[in-house]
Amino acid sequence: MRGMKSWLLPLAAIPFLALLAYGLTRDTFVLPSPLEGRPAPEFRLATMSGDSLSLEDLRGRVVVLNFWASWCVPCRVEHPALLQAHNTYDPAEALVVGVVYQDSRRNAQRFLDRFGGGWASVLDPGTRVAIDFGVYGVPETFFIGRDGSIARKHIGPVNWELVRTTVDSLLALPEPAESASDTTTAADVGESPHQATAEGAD
Amino acid sequence: MIGPVRGYRVRNLVRAVSGLASVMVLVEVGGPTRLGAQEIPGNGAAAETVQVKAEPGSELEEAALDALAAEVGAELRCPVCRNQSVIESSAELSREMQATIRAKLAAGESPAEVKAYFVSRYGEWILLKPTARGVNMAVYALPALVLLLGGVFLVARIRGWARTGPAEAAPPLEGVSDEDQRWLEDAIRKS
Repeated sequence: MRGMKSWLLPLAAIPFLALLAYGLTRDTFVLPSPLEGRPAPEFRLATMSGDSLSLEDLRGRVVVLNFWASWCVPCRVEHPALLQAHNTYDPAEALVVGVVYQDSRRNAQRFLDRFGGGWASVLDPGTRVAIDFGVYGVPETFFIGRDGSIARKHIGPVNWELVRTTVDSLLALPEPAESASDTTTAADVGESPHQATAEGAD
Repeated sequence: MIGPVRGYRVRNLVRAVSGLASVMVLVEVGGPTRLGAQEIPGNGAAAETVQVKAEPGSELEEAALDALAAEVGAELRCPVCRNQSVIESSAELSREMQATIRAKLAAGESPAEVKAYFVSRYGEWILLKPTARGVNMAVYALPALVLLLGGVFLVARIRGWARTGPAEAAPPLEGVSDEDQRWLEDAIRKS
């Protein structure tokens, strides 16, 4: 009896230790997005140059939707990868779209003047679109397939290898049928698209 | 370890321990909700005024909406600070989330619908209190189970000790005189 008990307690501790050990192997800052595989939330926002941009207009193209801010240091780290994506892909096939996160238009413009970037960035006053996408912070990047659904979400700075492989795999997918994309626009998204003017962000 | 004669008494003890455990589980499950409600002053009263249906746009309804939004915000996790609720956090994202909560409530959505919206965007992680479903049940059941097993273990142990009585005195050390032995035992007793 006594002999049995001496190993019974350590044995009982094993599942707990295993659970704790498993916890240590997990990165608590990487959380799976429930949006992966689902249609991207629709939005219509003003770009920094004053045009209006909506995800719906980009249906049929692969979109690299990048949430960024001028105050965000990792955004500087990933910027060359986005620049390379912008220079590599035909915008009719795949393109980068920036969403300025909790930043002023002036500072965002300064960032682009300094580090370059010819792609459209929209302003998100009230952080509504970022909340709609379940953004925790910047940078976060959503890879949206030609059918308008979110294929992958990446938290933290992207690198060129990740962007290239993800975009290429999405481009390799067969193009969605024209009629399907017409019927699934407003109904699938559910929420009414957020509308805002550029002035609201400052 | 447990003799058949003492069996019924042990069973009673086990019953008492499990009863205590279930009471504690009830307190635990009910606890966070009540605590959450107490954290925001005037919360309960505000929830009632919502049911009264104040005139739309009136100050009373604005206050009721604020209180209801605060209630929802207290149950959602701030994505930036992670261990604070949206209502407690002063992070900009939390302030915007609180504004979103209020706007959705003002648009006629129920608190449950607003919470479901955030879960659909951020995952269940956003809820400070996990829903008692599936794997999450472990969070609620494990403490009770551990408490119960610990109680049973303690009862069995204490009964075992009571049966064997105090430990026998150590045998006299070899090569130590009787006088030294007595001095040693005396010193141990006084220590």
